[in-house]
Amino acid sequence: MAAVRDGVERFGDRMAALALVRPKQPETLPVRITRRRIYILPTGFGLFIAVSLGTMLVGGLNYNNNPALLLVFLLAAVVHNSFVHAHLILSGVRLRALHAEPVFAGQAISLKFRFDADGARLRPGLELLCAGAQQIFDLGANEESEVVMDIATQQRGWFETGRIRLSTLRPLGLARAWSWLRPDTRLLVYPMLDIEAPVLPEAPGDGDSPRTRAHGEQPHHLREYRPGDMQRQIAWKASARADRLLVREYESAVARDITLDWQTLHALPYEAKIRRLARWVVDAERSGSRYCLRLPQQVVPAGRGAEHRHVCLRALALLPAAAES
Amino acid sequence: MSAPLSRPLRWLCLIAALTCCLPLLLQLPPWLAAVLLAMSAAGAWSPRQWPGALRLLVTIAVAGLVFAAFNFRVGRDTGCAGLLAMLLLKPAETFVTRDARSLLGFSLFAPFAAFLQNQGPLTLSLCLPALLMTLMAWSRLLPGAAPVAWPRLLRQSAFALLIALPMALAGFWLFPRLASPLWGLPQLSNKHMGLGDRMTPNEWLDVLVDDTPALRVRFPGATPKPEQMYWRGPALTVFDGQAWTRRDDFEMLPPPQMQPGPTRIRYEITLEPTEQRDLVLLDVPLSQPENSRVTGELTARSNEPVNNLLRYTGESSPDALFEPELSPYDRRLLLALPPGRDPKLRTLALQWRAQTPDPLALTKRFLGWIRKDFQYTISAPPVGIDATDDFMFQTRQGFCQHFSSAFVVFMRAAGVPARVITGYAGGHYNKIGGYWLVYRKDAHAWTEIWIEGHGWLRVDPTAAVAPENILDTVDDLRKRQDQSLFGQAQEQFQPMFDIADTLRNGWNEMVLGFNAARQKNLLRPLGIKDAEAWQLVIAFAVGAAFALAVTLWLLQRQHKDRSDPLIRAWRTFGRRLARVGIRKAPEEAPLSFGNRVAALLPDNAETVLRLSRRYCDWRYAGLELSPPQRQELIRDLRQFRAGRPQRKTSGGRS
Repeated sequence: MAAVRDGVERFGDRMAALALVRPKQPETLPVRITRRRIYILPTGFGLFIAVSLGTMLVGGLNYNNNPALLLVFLLAAVVHNSFVHAHLILSGVRLRALHAEPVFAGQAISLKFRFDADGARLRPGLELLCAGAQQIFDLGANEESEVVMDIATQQRGWFETGRIRLSTLRPLGLARAWSWLRPDTRLLVYPMLDIEAPVLPEAPGDGDSPRTRAHGEQPHHLREYRPGDMQRQIAWKASARADRLLVREYESAVARDITLDWQTLHALPYEAKIRRLARWVVDAERSGSRYCLRLPQQVVPAGRGAEHRHVCLRALALLPAAAES
Repeated sequence: MSAPLSRPLRWLCLIAALTCCLPLLLQLPPWLAAVLLAMSAAGAWSPRQWPGALRLLVTIAVAGLVFAAFNFRVGRDTGCAGLLAMLLLKPAETFVTRDARSLLGFSLFAPFAAFLQNQGPLTLSLCLPALLMTLMAWSRLLPGAAPVAWPRLLRQSAFALLIALPMALAGFWLFPRLASPLWGLPQLSNKHMGLGDRMTPNEWLDVLVDDTPALRVRFPGATPKPEQMYWRGPALTVFDGQAWTRRDDFEMLPPPQMQPGPTRIRYEITLEPTEQRDLVLLDVPLSQPENSRVTGELTARSNEPVNNLLRYTGESSPDALFEPELSPYDRRLLLALPPGRDPKLRTLALQWRAQTPDPLALTKRFLGWIRKDFQYTISAPPVGIDATDDFMFQTRQGFCQHFSSAFVVFMRAAGVPARVITGYAGGHYNKIGGYWLVYRKDAHAWTEIWIEGHGWLRVDPTAAVAPENILDTVDDLRKRQDQSLFGQAQEQFQPMFDIADTLRNGWNEMVLGFNAARQKNLLRPLGIKDAEAWQLVIAFAVGAAFALAVTLWLLQRQHKDRSDPLIRAWRTFGRRLARVGIRKAPEEAPLSFGNRVAALLPDNAETVLRLSRRYCDWRYAGLELSPPQRQELIRDLRQFRAGRPQRKTSGGRS
């Protein structure tokens, strides 16, 4: 849902840059929203109602018209209470955790926020605003709720959520109470994959590979399914027997270790090298080969599997920006 | 935020706005209200916005209608009707959230405007649904607000109003008031309330059947006799043959010389709004109310038109003597008659004067005549150009205006200075409230004659003809009521009328009559006389803080734990243990928690283990509990106290 912001909200955003505004530093989760970090300002509608009530107040006082004054004071008290109520809706909410599976740059990262709250109060209409995306959810008494937000990514490296705003317009839409959240959780975005990468480089030298046919008498063994495994690797019959997904692993399929070397790509620009290497890491993993990654400052020894793939992609994602090369 | 409105939401907003408009709508002429409603309905049912030309046309037509309805006069009521017309046209262009917000915001001015014209119980009670509906619409106009069931929405709004009350009352009583207005209230386009500046005996008066209250009176001391209850209003001196009017200089006259009599009566009047500056006082007034002055004719003029309920106190002496001397100019004015009019009555007056020179005897003779030959009726037959002659010698039927007018003409013709006094006569005693109520229909006209050495004397010729019509006390009323079925019914309902009016009077005194002067006295119980502004501000701050505390407490309590009673009992159990320092970690399962507690509290070990086992079985092992078992477990969990062996479940330990 696109967030349309009125003048008061923009003012609130501008204020967020001030040094006084809490939280001053990114903070470790879980974070509890206390009264010291709740901000509240009337919305445009709230200002309009306030001006109307002010006009009526002056009129009522001037004519000493008591029923009119009673009406004005009653409404003013309702408005005031709605501010207090908005504050109470936010106060005591906890952001317990924030996590996301790493994605490749350009894909949407799914941020999963887990909220819960103190006390037995209902907290309806909480709005979470993060990097321009908005989501509205309710938090019941003694309830935990998970909010998932898909946010587009552009750059490899650590994903900045920036200031996350948890706000509410309830109960009457006259005021917005909000609190800034700055979790220090680090979310990784892998480099973008090169689209038209050439095939994997062959391993240098030819194959005296000790593993070739080493276990010839046992052509494969089974292991647990891991996300990323190809469908045709799944041993359906065995899986049905074991009641969990099992994957055939061809020990002998791997011929040699593949070396993915930064230095071999000198013709490409800096970021393109990263993209190419990322592509190769993914392809190498898919092919089932062992591979190692050589980067200017760093070498990831040969290995295989999701963990290894993650280490390689992480190393690529966290390479310093282009300036030095 | 200009999201298009969903159909149900649009209707909720339109109904809320209409509810706000209702009190004001009832004050319009019925035909205009019907036309505006029809226009509004057409707009509400139109599926899309009207084209600009049509809107312009409708706006102009409606503005024209409103002006026509008020005879092209600009006044407060015209303005209110204009506001209402604009509000009722708004549905035709309410299709997105933003429009709905502005409609709902401006709609709040409708009850406000209604209060400028009428502060009666109907307007007040209509204000409550208006507020409720407005709050309901506001709370639904939020992005992402899920549809809520009506009763729940209503309950939420009612609760919001209820918890706003303490602060609203603090504001109402303690917010500093203006002692004098910054600008005046625009007048109504036509005045119709209360006594007039003018009396035309042959005109029908609406006021004679107006059942609304005119004033309420309390007598802190002695109560005057019923025949002394004359509430003095404007004095009418100038007669043109048809109508009586005030003398031009009546406001400039210095107060007359007074000789108070032995009887003194103190009273406190609460006057309903009249839109005029004339006040009424108990005849013969000795003092003048605040913010007003008493003229030479002993009529009180307020400095401001009485637009709101006005309360004032006064002192009267029914047997006072006043204006023993009359200046030659006044004398001439008070004897003046339109030349050539009513020749028969004037001739008769001269004849009688010659036969009975004493003015008092002459009065007696005149009253004897009308008592014998005249009839009281409020539907008097029409008369010709010599109105008084026609009345005296032909129709002989009329009401107070006719009698008082004829008597003054007669006395002036006989050379006795005389004038007409208008006001109210009598009153109805409210036993429950302990005050006297005077209706508008008790409006009356009587006369005063001036006699050398005696000053002014009150003469009420109508009382000679039909005393029961003027001074109808409860006793008189009862006598008449016995005759008719209606009367009996009315008598039966009298206590109810009394209760209703007492309530209204209480509301009047508590709320409507509240003003800057009374606010100053508010702090008197605290020993502060005539509170200063800063003292009031402090009082307001204290009151508001107190109200805020009450509000916060109520808001915090708002949401009860609605989870299963057994789960609640388990939480209570956890809290009890937390009190002795054993806190359940959120991720700790009941059984492991029980084991941990058992190790820490050997005294309770058995109970705790048992309880946590039973709870765990129910909660996680899917063990069905019969209602008595359930109740037992709830009770045991609730009764658990750390450090005290439990009666029921811990068998051998105690």
